[in-house]
Amino acid sequence: MKNSKILILITALVFIFLIGPFIMIFLTSFSSDSIMRFPPKGFTLAWYTKALNIEMFRTTFWVSLKTGLAATATALILGVPVAYANIRFNYRGKNALELLFSSPAIVPGMVIGFSLLRFFVYVSNIPIGIGLYLGHTAILFPYTVRVVSSSLRNFEGDIEQAAISLGSTPLHAFFAVVLPNIQSGLVAAFILAFITSFNNVPVSLFLTGPGVATLPIQMLSYMEYYYDPTISALSSIIIVLTVIVVQSAEKLLGISKYV
Amino acid sequence: MRLKSQQKSLVMLLGAGSLFLLAFFLVPLLFVLSESFVGDDGVVTAARYMAVLVDEQFQNVYVRTLKMALVVTVIAVFAGYPTAYLMMKLKPSRKAMLMSLVILPLMTSPVARTYAWIVILGRYGIVNQTLSVLGMTKEPIRMLYTEGAIIIGLLQLFLPIMVLNLVSALENVPNEVEEAALSLGSNKVGTFFRVIVPLSFDGLIMGVTLVFTGCITAYVTPAILGGAKVLTLATLMRQQALVLMNWEAATVIAVVMILTTLVLHTVMRRFRPRNQV
Repeated sequence: MKNSKILILITALVFIFLIGPFIMIFLTSFSSDSIMRFPPKGFTLAWYTKALNIEMFRTTFWVSLKTGLAATATALILGVPVAYANIRFNYRGKNALELLFSSPAIVPGMVIGFSLLRFFVYVSNIPIGIGLYLGHTAILFPYTVRVVSSSLRNFEGDIEQAAISLGSTPLHAFFAVVLPNIQSGLVAAFILAFITSFNNVPVSLFLTGPGVATLPIQMLSYMEYYYDPTISALSSIIIVLTVIVVQSAEKLLGISKYV
Repeated sequence: MRLKSQQKSLVMLLGAGSLFLLAFFLVPLLFVLSESFVGDDGVVTAARYMAVLVDEQFQNVYVRTLKMALVVTVIAVFAGYPTAYLMMKLKPSRKAMLMSLVILPLMTSPVARTYAWIVILGRYGIVNQTLSVLGMTKEPIRMLYTEGAIIIGLLQLFLPIMVLNLVSALENVPNEVEEAALSLGSNKVGTFFRVIVPLSFDGLIMGVTLVFTGCITAYVTPAILGGAKVLTLATLMRQQALVLMNWEAATVIAVVMILTTLVLHTVMRRFRPRNQV
């Protein structure tokens, strides 16, 4: 097929623009220069050792990991039944409820974080770490509903009906027939939601305080004071991990259709 | 009987999720919003809004935020359409490979992604070093902490969103339509604008809406690439809330953010073809 040269040129520039910066981070992360300078000089792994040995990065990594896993699990437990109800049933007030379920994706994350901080931490005095977990769960909820809904839509209800007419209870049919059939949608939802939580800044921004911070928030505050390739090294590690997860998820589940 | 049991299962299915969002999302949100309409003396007032809205710094920041969002959206459309169109024409395996590259910026940590631009646009970054080697500049140009830097950073985040929306819209345009137009004597450019664009218009509108509203509420990119020098709505809100401890002003900015987003969503929906949700 012949495609005009200008089309190929624009597309090539777009991909250089999208991917080039990541390559740049890699190059500088091995530089023995202590300021960010191009072209990078020498070769060292010192920035990686430094990044991995900074106590605050280690603590906040665990906070991010725990918050992400807990919020993703909660959002899935709450979201799967909602997705199922919206695909299988028509009921009064469905539009209004669907609006409520999708609204955490429409309201800016900063506003969600801000209002949780004002309401819970100042009015109800609950610990900020709990607020962080609740805020993350709220923003992940619409994700899980959307991804699970779209995989439920592809799953014909016939098998489920067959199970029920053969004597299975609807609840048993849900666990024994429906869930196994939407397995890949569930895994995709889990991966997407966890990555969203792990990368989140706007919600976490307001729900972190002394002692409780997530990794991205900690990286932001580190960058305010230091201008060395430590963040390059840490970013490289994060990017490589993300690429591995996203690429395998794309290969196995075709995750890009859910994004 | 049957209705009753359906109601019971609906309550079971929807109950927990609804309660969670009510308690931990809607109520706190409404609480903060209502608070912004009450003055120190407990009387309902719009004074807090007036105080922020007449402030010249706020007005400048608001106009700047809208302007940058517009620029990013326009560039994203003009760069995104050719990219999405070409991707559609590729072999499935190649298209899949490019798709996974497109989603990479969306999936990686925003801090890491934005940090890359510090490396590129910085004082000793690749751009300044190249210019100086070529003898085009004597001193490094300040590119960080400018509107241009923020626009570049936002573009890297939102161009993929535009491309994804356009690709999924173009997937629904049958190949035959284009061939028919060509065989009936339309040239390639004419076919693109008169056939392809109208048929993928829905995806374009979705992309424009998401990119524009996303730019208005984006935080990490302007925080890193604009800093306190070039504030946007999001970084101004953070400054008011966490640095100046001016909760009222932060709330007003939050409301402005929500309203702007809602207005955009409503306006853009009018452009979407009928009979489509």
